[in-house]
Amino acid sequence: MNTRTSLSLSALGVVAFLLGWEAVARSGVVPAGLLPSPSAVPTAFLAEVQRGIWQKMVVASLSHYAVGLALGTFLGVAFGTAAALWRVWDAFQSWVVRMLRPIPAIAWIPFAIIWFGVSEGAASFLIALTVFWINYYASYSAVRGVDKDLIELGHAFGQGGLIPRLFKIILPGALPGILSGLRAGLGQGWMTVVAAELFGISGLGMRMMEASGLLATNIVVLYMVTIALLYGVSDFLFMQVQARVLSWQR
Amino acid sequence: MAAVIDLNGVSIGYGDSAPPVLVDVTLSVERGSFVAIVGPSGVGKSTLLRVVAGLHKARTGGVTIHQDQRPAHRPVGLVFQDARLLPWRKVVKNVQLGLEGLPISAADRLRRAEDALKLVRLDGYARRWPYELSGGQRQRVGIARAMAVDPDILLMDEPFGALDAITRNNLQDELRRIHRETGKTILFVTHDLEEAVHLADRIIVLGGTPARVVRDVKNDAGRDGAVFRDQVEKLRLEIADNYSI
Ligand SMILES: Nc1ncnc2c1ncn2[C@@H]1O[C@H](COP(=O)(O)OP(=O)(O)OP(=O)(O)O)[C@@H](O)[C@H]1O
Ligand SMILES: [Mg+2]
Repeated sequence: MNTRTSLSLSALGVVAFLLGWEAVARSGVVPAGLLPSPSAVPTAFLAEVQRGIWQKMVVASLSHYAVGLALGTFLGVAFGTAAALWRVWDAFQSWVVRMLRPIPAIAWIPFAIIWFGVSEGAASFLIALTVFWINYYASYSAVRGVDKDLIELGHAFGQGGLIPRLFKIILPGALPGILSGLRAGLGQGWMTVVAAELFGISGLGMRMMEASGLLATNIVVLYMVTIALLYGVSDFLFMQVQARVLSWQR
Repeated sequence: MAAVIDLNGVSIGYGDSAPPVLVDVTLSVERGSFVAIVGPSGVGKSTLLRVVAGLHKARTGGVTIHQDQRPAHRPVGLVFQDARLLPWRKVVKNVQLGLEGLPISAADRLRRAEDALKLVRLDGYARRWPYELSGGQRQRVGIARAMAVDPDILLMDEPFGALDAITRNNLQDELRRIHRETGKTILFVTHDLEEAVHLADRIIVLGGTPARVVRDVKNDAGRDGAVFRDQVEKLRLEIADNYSI
C-alpha cells in the first residue's frame, strides 16, 4: 500500500468516526447534555479563541509537555543505557527501580504539589516521571539487545574503548528500540499532561475541568479534540523524523 | 626470518568450565608467510583467529604478536566469516571503521577506503547501504575494511566462501598479488583444500576433539598439475583420519 492510499484511508476513517458520532448525537438516543455533537465543537472553538483562552491553554500545556518530555526522555535513556552497560550499577539500582516503578505518575501528584506548588514545575515533573520509565525500560532492553558480534567487530577495529563503543556501535544499534520508547513516551506524556492539569495547573486539563463543572460539554469535547490533534501532530512529526533517522533499515 | 605470531602451548576454551576447544597449539608464523588453516567445521578455526586477533583470551600458554612501528595502521586486520557490516553505515563508512582514531586526516581516510573498495571491485558501491548489497558483495566490503587499515597481519576467515568461481579466482589472484607486493603475513582459514594448496605456502591442519595441530606442512605444490592434486589428496586423507566431531 502506498502512502497516498494509506493517508486517504486514515482520513476516511476519521470522517466515518465523526459522522457516526454526529448521527448518534442527533438521533436523540442520548440526551444532548450527555453527548454533545461534534458539530457543536466549532462554535465552542470560535468562542474560546476569541476570548484568547484556547491559545493560552495550548501554549501552557505544550510548555509543560515539552519540558517534561525532554527531561524524562533524556534521563530515561541515560539511566536505562547505564544500567544495561554496567552490571554492577544494574545490580545496585535494580531493587530501587522495582520499588519505584509500579507507582503511577498521578500517585505522585500530592508530592509534586508539595514540592513545586500548583505550578508549571509540578506538571512537568509528573510528565517527566511518566516518560522516564517508558524510556528507561525501552533503552535498557534495546542496549542489551545490541548484537554482540558488532561489539566484537568494534574491538577488532580499534573501536573498543568506552566512547567509540558507545557512540559507534551500541547507541546506533539500540536506536530503533530507543526510538520506539520515545514514541510511546510521546503518547503517555500527553495523557499525563491532562491528568496533572486536572488539579488546577493552568492548561488544557484545567480548562476541561472548569468546563465540566459548568456542564459545558461542548467545551470539554473541544479540548479533547485539541489534545487528540496535538498528539496526532506530534506523533506524525516523530514518525517522519524516525523514518529519516532509520533510513538504513531495509 | 622473524616470527610475527608466536603461540606457545596455547589452549583455548569458551566459558570457565566447558572443555577446551583447542589444546597445545604451538605455532610460529614468519613475517610475510601465507598460512592456510584447514579442518572440519567446528574444529576451532575461527576460535584460533579470534585469539590471534586479541578478541578472546587463551586459557593457558603464550600469545605474542610482534608489531611493526609504522604510523597510521593497525597491526591486525580481520575478515570475519560473516560479513559483519554496521547496517547504519554506508559502505564507504564501514570500510573507514578501523581508520577512525588513527592519526590521519578525514581526506586520507576517505582515500584509503576508496582504494580498498577498488581492490575488491566495489568502487561503484561506496554510497550504498549494506542492505542494498548481495551476500558476496558484503563479504567483499568486509575484506576492504580489513585491507584499509594496512595491517601487518591479515586474518581471513573463509573470506571467499560466498563467492562464485570467477569472482573468487579474481580475488585469489588479487590476494596473491597483495601478498607478493606488500609482504603482509596472512592467516587464511578455508575448508576448501584446493584453495589452501593454491594460495598458501604453509598449511596447518586442525583436527581431533579437543582439536590440536595434526599437521603442519610446507606447501610448494604449485597451482595445478599432478603435484597439486597429490597435495590436495594428502590433506583430504589427513583430515578424514582426524575427523571426530
Ligand atoms: N561464543 C561461543 N561460546 C561457546 N562455544 C563456542 C563459541 N564459539 C564457538 N564455540 C564452539 O567452539 C568450537 C569451535 O568453533 P569455531 O567457530 O572456532 O569453529 P570453526 O572451525 O570456525 O568452524 P566452521 O568451519 O564451521 O566455521 C565449536 O564447537 C563451537 O561450538
Ligand atoms: Mg569458523
